[in-house]
Amino acid sequence: MKLLKFELLKLRKKSRGWLGPILVFVLIMTAFPLTVEILNKDIDQSFFSVLWIATLLVMMLATEDIFLEDFNDGTLEQMAIKHNSLSGVITIKIFVYWLLIGLPISLLGALYGFGITTSADLAIQLIPILMITTYIFLNVFSFGNALSLTKGSILGILITMPLVLPLLVVLGKVVIAINLGMNFLGFLFLLLGILSIIIFVLPIIISFVIKAHLE
Amino acid sequence: MKKILVAENLSYKINDTKLFQNLSFSLNEGAAIHILGSNGSGKTSLLKIISGLTKQTKGKIEKNYNKDICFIGHKNALKQYLTVEDNLSLLEIEAHGNLKSFLQLLGLEKLLDVMVANLSYGQQKKLALLRLFLNDSDLLVLDEPCVGLDKKSQDILCTFLSDQLIAKKALIFSSHISLDISAEVLQLDKA
Repeated sequence: MKLLKFELLKLRKKSRGWLGPILVFVLIMTAFPLTVEILNKDIDQSFFSVLWIATLLVMMLATEDIFLEDFNDGTLEQMAIKHNSLSGVITIKIFVYWLLIGLPISLLGALYGFGITTSADLAIQLIPILMITTYIFLNVFSFGNALSLTKGSILGILITMPLVLPLLVVLGKVVIAINLGMNFLGFLFLLLGILSIIIFVLPIIISFVIKAHLE
Repeated sequence: MKKILVAENLSYKINDTKLFQNLSFSLNEGAAIHILGSNGSGKTSLLKIISGLTKQTKGKIEKNYNKDICFIGHKNALKQYLTVEDNLSLLEIEAHGNLKSFLQLLGLEKLLDVMVANLSYGQQKKLALLRLFLNDSDLLVLDEPCVGLDKKSQDILCTFLSDQLIAKKALIFSSHISLDISAEVLQLDKA
């Protein structure tokens, strides 16, 4: 609990860390209907594509220095010495990022969904999908950033981008299911399944990668 | 006397550069080791091996202590965008009984609301050293603890470390500035 409190304090006080990605998301989602001169129903159809891509980009942006600052100032060194389970620290760190960035973006995404499609049902359906998706993205991009900790974030993005492409395919299928009025819960459980594996496996891998960097 | 640390035939190399080879030493409770050596001789690497941050290339190291190591390295582990008070809470020493007296001793008591980014390097170093002053570890591992400190703070540090040795704690440190502490010297030379 102490660690959760500390990580919350750190991210909360670093407003550019959490507010920046949220503002970028708002900017993309607001600019999208303004910049594309198409009919309302066409906006309806392309909305989801923009939503998923915006979420992907913003999560990528949010994790840009998730470990870098702690690495540079020696906090990670202290954590590695003090905490037997560095993966636990990483899990908490990612959770805090999701709480302050992923969760607001999930709610904002649903709000934009309602604004563009005027369907309250759809907006409600979007919330759990976005909540799970943002958590998966955060885990995957954190892994990428851990890999390229001392080499710039681009390398990490290039390595991890192929990992999230199958997820985009699943998200595309979710949209089709929602649009056709089909049961989308199967896809939701599939996303949950992916998340439940990632949430345990990736922090362990990330902890090994970070320990290698600390050496 | 209880041996806190026993190192046998420690060797370490980075890529093909051998930093030290077959290094053996032991550290008893209440004793100190001062690591000396030229730049690049492996002082920091040895301290990181002792702290468990780095693995030695060869040899073994036995540790015999109950609580966490207190490691003070080159990096201060301070958040520049937070106030001194917030950093104290991150260092988990905000509720320590002796905090107030050490803040006064180091001249930091009036800086609690100041952002760390606005402190001088020496003040930041003193703030980082509070983690050392308020620890209860059995083994203190310090890498150049005097860098950036004024004479008064160096004296405070020396007095504190001497008291820790009397309290049966073990100390291993590297420093180019001589400290008035009774310590065995471990000389590292480039291999």
